[in-house]
Amino acid sequence: MTRESIEWSVVGHDVLRLDGPAKVRGVQRYLADKVFPGALHLALARSTHPHAKILRVDTRAAGGVPGVAAVFTGENLLAVHGVRPCYGPAFRDQPILAFGKVRYAGEPIAAVAAENREAAEEAAALIEAEYEELPHVQNPFEAAQHGAPLLHDSLEPAGAFADLMALKGHPGTNICTHYKQRQGDAEKALAEADHVLEDTYTCPPVSHAHLEPHGAAAWFEPGGRLIVHTTSQTPYFVRGDLAAIFGIALADVRVVVPPLGGSYGGKIYDKLEPLTCLMAKVTSRPVQLHLSREEVFYTSSRHGAATKIWTGIKDGKITARKVEVFYDAGAYAEVGPRIAQKTGSTAPGPYKFPNVSVDAFCVYTNKTPSGPLRGFGVPQLAIAYETHMNKAATILEKDPVALRREYVLEEGDLYSTGSPVTSIGLRACLDSVSRVVEKTSENRPAPTLGPGLTQEKHIARGRGIALGFKSVISPTISNAIVELNSDGSAIVRSATVEMGQGATTAFAQIAAEELGLDVNKVHVTTPDTDQSPYDTLTAGSRSTYHMGNAVIGAARQIREKLLETASEALEIPSEEFELREGRVFSRSLPERAIAIPEIFLKRFGAPGTTLTGEGTFQGHAVKADPETGQTPRMTEHWFAGASGAEVEVDTETGFVKVTRLVSSADVGRAINPRHCVEQVQGAAAMTLGFALFESMRIEDGRLVNGSFLEYPLTAFEDMPREFITDIVENPLESGPYGARGVGETGTMALKPAIVNAIHDAVDIWLKDMPVTPEKVLRAMREASGAAPGKEASGAAPDGEGPK
Amino acid sequence: MGVPRFELLEPVTYEEASRLISAHETIPLAGGTAIISMMRQRLFNPSHIVSLHKISGLGGVSPAKSGGLSIGAMATLRSVEIHPAVRSQYPLLSETLSSVANVRVRWSATVGGNLAHGDYRLDPPGALIALGARVRLGSARGERELQLEDFFRGFFETAKEDDEIILGVDLPPTDEEASGHYLKFTSHASADWPCVGVAVYIKENFSGKCESARVVLTAAAQTPLLLEGVDEILSGEAVTEAAAQKVADLTHSQLDSIEDSSGSTWYKREIAPVLVRRALLEAARRKPKARDERRKN
Ligand SMILES: Cc1cc2nc3c(=O)[nH]c(=O)nc-3n(C[C@H](O)[C@H](O)[C@H](O)COP(=O)(O)OP(=O)(O)OC[C@H]3O[C@@H](n4cnc5c(N)ncnc54)[C@H](O)[C@@H]3O)c2cc1C
Repeated sequence: MTRESIEWSVVGHDVLRLDGPAKVRGVQRYLADKVFPGALHLALARSTHPHAKILRVDTRAAGGVPGVAAVFTGENLLAVHGVRPCYGPAFRDQPILAFGKVRYAGEPIAAVAAENREAAEEAAALIEAEYEELPHVQNPFEAAQHGAPLLHDSLEPAGAFADLMALKGHPGTNICTHYKQRQGDAEKALAEADHVLEDTYTCPPVSHAHLEPHGAAAWFEPGGRLIVHTTSQTPYFVRGDLAAIFGIALADVRVVVPPLGGSYGGKIYDKLEPLTCLMAKVTSRPVQLHLSREEVFYTSSRHGAATKIWTGIKDGKITARKVEVFYDAGAYAEVGPRIAQKTGSTAPGPYKFPNVSVDAFCVYTNKTPSGPLRGFGVPQLAIAYETHMNKAATILEKDPVALRREYVLEEGDLYSTGSPVTSIGLRACLDSVSRVVEKTSENRPAPTLGPGLTQEKHIARGRGIALGFKSVISPTISNAIVELNSDGSAIVRSATVEMGQGATTAFAQIAAEELGLDVNKVHVTTPDTDQSPYDTLTAGSRSTYHMGNAVIGAARQIREKLLETASEALEIPSEEFELREGRVFSRSLPERAIAIPEIFLKRFGAPGTTLTGEGTFQGHAVKADPETGQTPRMTEHWFAGASGAEVEVDTETGFVKVTRLVSSADVGRAINPRHCVEQVQGAAAMTLGFALFESMRIEDGRLVNGSFLEYPLTAFEDMPREFITDIVENPLESGPYGARGVGETGTMALKPAIVNAIHDAVDIWLKDMPVTPEKVLRAMREASGAAPGKEASGAAPDGEGPK
Repeated sequence: MGVPRFELLEPVTYEEASRLISAHETIPLAGGTAIISMMRQRLFNPSHIVSLHKISGLGGVSPAKSGGLSIGAMATLRSVEIHPAVRSQYPLLSETLSSVANVRVRWSATVGGNLAHGDYRLDPPGALIALGARVRLGSARGERELQLEDFFRGFFETAKEDDEIILGVDLPPTDEEASGHYLKFTSHASADWPCVGVAVYIKENFSGKCESARVVLTAAAQTPLLLEGVDEILSGEAVTEAAAQKVADLTHSQLDSIEDSSGSTWYKREIAPVLVRRALLEAARRKPKARDERRKN
């Protein structure tokens, strides 16, 4: 089916965002804009040590500050009856407030509730703690070794998700997950290879930097119901975990989520909710907590990683691929185990290699807990497998694009997990970026000169491309309820969180298309677990596909009822009908029509009622063999994306200017083409910062750039002169109108595209992200034999590889 | 987090401000862009703060007695940047100020606060030193003046006594034949602090030869570095690539570089001469245009 042959009136069109006007006018109310009458304000005291026994927390001075209602510590927490003190989606490893010991600098050790924020903060600043310092570990590779300082003595699996049920942890080590994949015999193939490429790539932790910090408000109603308003991507997970923490029924917890001011994975699972609810319980008052910008840096980050990769080449062929990746979980696992398992399964890259071995570890270290960030751990792998493709191309004396074409996964291929690959637009994405990169190189405009350069002579230019792929999180479930009103307006109830990705507009488009409505007549509700049916989570680019399918299912039930009544009224079989512009009409005799209000009258004999439909959609996966990772179905579907970069390297300073970025993404089918382009571009812009300069810098176990004064973010001036986005439409049979998600696709391959382009320009291979000018210059000096002196090793690498 | 509670004192003379500062062992508040973030992070927790906002005569840009320009300590960076007299006579200063942070910070941050902070990473001191600025200080004990290059003493250390207030800076008259350039090199995002900044101010004679030149590096060492020996190289010479390189080479012996998140000591030493050479050549290249513009005005 080509787009031209389909007559959709709403889907496939550049519908303007339904949440746009309120956001543009500044009248959108976010959590912090809400007033919670009578609510106490919370402020937190945080650990100053990365790893230490808590000897004493002195709250006396804090308690004396006027307006303070309660000061609460981890010790107090243990004394509360009927509250489970720890939480987490994979392991219950994170204390609501640290007790016994602290595991990262910045961990909350005490909370103050006060009548106003000033008093709460003043009191929190007066809390003093005494510690006995313990050795700490920051590098995930070192943390994975025996004898490293141990963060957790034992681990309790949370059992909250189907794919994380079997987790056990590895007692006596900091490894909380070890995922394995084996196909053929990679060790043997490497031993027999003519060439073995072996490298370690490192990525530091980086910040989500969502503009809206985390916030939560909570209270217990007189009857015991717990009401929570929170900035969360996972209202239903939060509901379930709060019910378990406080020992109450699921029906007695209500989680309400307003639209979020950005998230990217930073507001997932439990963040502030357990503590906020605990303080509501101990004070018997409504309470609210709004983090400062600086505190966001102590709440979540993207996993740093050390990725060791081996590629074996024999007789002109790539015969083996081996990967060992160490994801840096930080102090608490959050969903790191899933990243190691699910994303670890894609570590070999989107290729057919005969012999494959993967070991993916999720490892505790003494830093801010890590979480997913737009790409769920894929970028930390793609940097390894995609630079290795270019290195292999050099050895094989092949064009890097041609080499990829030789090995890239295509429809029907078996992946190294034994799962068949279906509907994967990798080749189309590859073709798209290579075409654009090649074409633009012909009429390349004058260079953008480096800092202070007025002539071209110190500029070296290069081009690079890279591929990336990801499997959608599976299994998960989405439910939707659609209600059609008698005036032809409709409500979609969904627990998908609107966090800027445009999900609500896409659902409105889908419901409007199915019911023949104007998209502006569809209202999509914000998540409220009392009103919106269950959804597993808003993450991993899964909502358009899963919730989109659920909305279709719900709308079609209504559609059937409409057609049924229309058929009776007009005495025409329902197969003859079209539903469009608010009326049902016969395809062959368009003048035989009946409008929605009339159908309601006919059906119910009175106006005012509603027609309701309910849709459910569930993605499937089959659990992999724990020793080999083999499974007949590793995921519900795949994402494919490619990036191309053109860079100019200032050969005297190492400064890299990305002058052109090309991104292509297989979206299946664009429900809203403009949204798709914006998502891909947004992802690319964000990743540009991760590629070139962003890094949460830890010195002596403590974060040293945890504020926007010091943490660098991409600015408009850093944007490439040309920013090309190509949307590939390779319809996904099971997707709504063929659609799949698109939020993360632009992040996957961008870093290696830039690294490959830098190699093309100045013949160096960079392995430690981000690729700052200093690293570029240093590598150029090393390559030319003029290695920098000893003292030059002063600046530590950002990433955390084996040293 | 918010700012801890404190009492705001608002004297109307700098002498009184100076006495209050000593009495309460506190510091003055100007634009607050540096202080407030320090207080929010609880790095600084004063019981009293002495605002300089009600003291008259500390703001604005006005002609100096010497024929140059006098800039009040409380003038905001942005107001100086866009001041017509600064734009026409001291484009180097305008250019430098425009590279600081963003326009919102520049409308709050003041010239006095910028200097008093003593942060080696600040952009404006480079241009001000290159232009030959003098800084005026006052306290209950009296007033004094010194060359700006002598004001910076060490890492976050200045010649200012605790009870002294910066009253303003004076710029000597500019030369018709002068030109300048500030080259700000950031190693992270473009809107970041400088990794190394180079301010250049060149005066030429009518035959297009250099009469004198001042080259200042910022963010490279613990204090702004005014290169010595530049005139010996450039005086009477045209600013050619070779001459610029000779000046650049002065950094090898004079720059004791400092390591920070934007670059190691090695890196700063490596790029300093490159940037000095480029800044000099750019300043020399800009000259005819600057002169044309001045004729137009
Ligand atoms: C987001 C951000 C980005 C920035 N980026 C840059 C950049 O790229 N380049 C750059 O150069 N700077 C940058 N800065 C720093 C900025 O220039 C300084 O914070 C500012 O100049 C300080 O001026 P202020 O008036 O706000 O000082 P305040 O914060 O009020 O005071 C700073 C210090 O100076 C003292 N002080 C103030 N006025 C006087 C006076 N008249 N006499 C004696 N002592 C005084 C105060 O007591 C205090 O110790 C940035 C700042 C921010 C917030």
